[in-house]
Amino acid sequence: MSAIALKTLFLKEIRRFSKVWLQTVLSPLVTTSLYFLVFGVALGSRLREISGVPYIQFVVPGLVMMTMVRDAFLNTSSSLFQSKINGTITDVLVAPIGAFEMLVAYVGAAMLRAFLVGTLVYLVALTFTYFPLHHVGWILFFAIFVTATLALLGMVAALWAEKFDHLAIFPNFVLLPLAFLGGVFYSIDLLPEPWHTVSLFNPLLYMVNGLRYGFLGVADVTPEASAAVVLLSFAVVLAVASALLRSGYNLRS
Amino acid sequence: MKPPVLRCRHVSKRYGKFTALRDLSLEVYEGEIFALLGPNGAGKSTLIHCITGLAKQSKGSIEVLGFDTVTDFRTTRRLVGLVPQEINYDPFFTPLESLMIQMGLMGVKPNRERAESLLKTFSLDEKRDAYTRTLSGGMKRRLLVAKALVHGPRLLFLDEPTAGVDVELRQELWQEVEDLRAAGTTIVLTTHYIEEAEKLADRIGILHKGELLLVESRDSLLERHSGRSLEEIYLELIRKAEGRHAA
Ligand SMILES: Nc1ncnc2c1ncn2[C@@H]1O[C@H](COP(=O)(O)OP(=O)(O)O)[C@@H](O)[C@H]1O
Ligand SMILES: [Mg+2]
Repeated sequence: MSAIALKTLFLKEIRRFSKVWLQTVLSPLVTTSLYFLVFGVALGSRLREISGVPYIQFVVPGLVMMTMVRDAFLNTSSSLFQSKINGTITDVLVAPIGAFEMLVAYVGAAMLRAFLVGTLVYLVALTFTYFPLHHVGWILFFAIFVTATLALLGMVAALWAEKFDHLAIFPNFVLLPLAFLGGVFYSIDLLPEPWHTVSLFNPLLYMVNGLRYGFLGVADVTPEASAAVVLLSFAVVLAVASALLRSGYNLRS
Repeated sequence: MKPPVLRCRHVSKRYGKFTALRDLSLEVYEGEIFALLGPNGAGKSTLIHCITGLAKQSKGSIEVLGFDTVTDFRTTRRLVGLVPQEINYDPFFTPLESLMIQMGLMGVKPNRERAESLLKTFSLDEKRDAYTRTLSGGMKRRLLVAKALVHGPRLLFLDEPTAGVDVELRQELWQEVEDLRAAGTTIVLTTHYIEEAEKLADRIGILHKGELLLVESRDSLLERHSGRSLEEIYLELIRKAEGRHAA
């Protein structure tokens, strides 16, 4: 393995999103902060507590997770897909770089972007409502494994996609609805059956609630259940992404 | 004896049912300029892609300086450089940044002096901090050549490097190729300018529908067909092969 190549690819990915930070950092920060202002601050002041915490605090971990999920996915998927389309992936394919280094570099950079936006969203929220963090260990666990999972999924999507439309399916028609329905803005305890049970089949629910447990100590499912679902998702997409990269699927003809 | 720089053994490449390369065996030796000629679709790029890692042969094996390109890809890719047929550039990076990044990707510690000297060699030093998309077509092509050289490859592939490039620039590029060979680099090139291949190449390979019709040194080829140009010899061979395929 070449440490120089790995480091270069990782830094290149970071520079790529840094150069367009308006799109990759500021834009998700503004969007997510707007959700927080409208739902958390404005509407939240009229709502009762939810799961025993003020609504303005309840939405914070959900929003942080929602933006991290999206940013991790978008970073790998758009970077890899663009270089596939404009041919610059050639530079990587002719280099002494194996599937492992590609995974680590792309996923690592995507996680960094997701952490950055997630942290900024949290800092914005802090200016409106202060609360102590319940369990930093769980926060780190979910932040790391969820962003890694979504970054890997972004790579799989970019490898599979043949045109931009294919790629747009995921963030708009899969991730966003699943995050909304996964309890970013509400507790599924408020849902009537069968919707309560249906919600339990949504993996995003476990990601959102895992982080919420870490931040606030309250969640619709136990942190252990969340951790199990997150680790399983991580293992599955890791296996798929490494298999695709190793076989050169849609990369090496 | 030293192994040849490149050795392809019974290489076949299929895309679905279509056979792009058929049982191709070829050796290229240290320090030579080898011209791979053939009509569009003959499989020239496919062969180059199989060697450089952009594609994977369906059958057969390829070795660079004795190292297998599949099992020992990390070694072979450091030995090989590729100037691809299609121009590509990363809109995010300037020429200088592109070269520095490519060095790193090739596993070489990025070295600014080396990058700047390459930019100078290819008359790109004035554009080193420009957006790459603002470069002219010829400049982008030269940047591709510079990128292929960042790690000092022993074996360089130039896949139609002069397509759409004006005469003056073509001359410059071929001069650069001669210089590289003089410095010890082995070169495999494809081109549609047969007369340029005739001037430049030590050995010629002619590929047609995935099969090598001929591999021979330029001098013996020209001697065998005394008085005729490489272009005439080439055209006759291709016509014969077409006739055989039609029959
Ligand atoms: N990725 C691919 N999928 C399917 N067919 C391909 C692919 N790449 C090349 N081919 C086919 O293989 C043949 C050889 O192509 P190529 O190697 O590009 O020829 P050349 O470089 O000699 O012009 C052509 O018929 C081309 O259509
Ligand atoms: Mg070609």
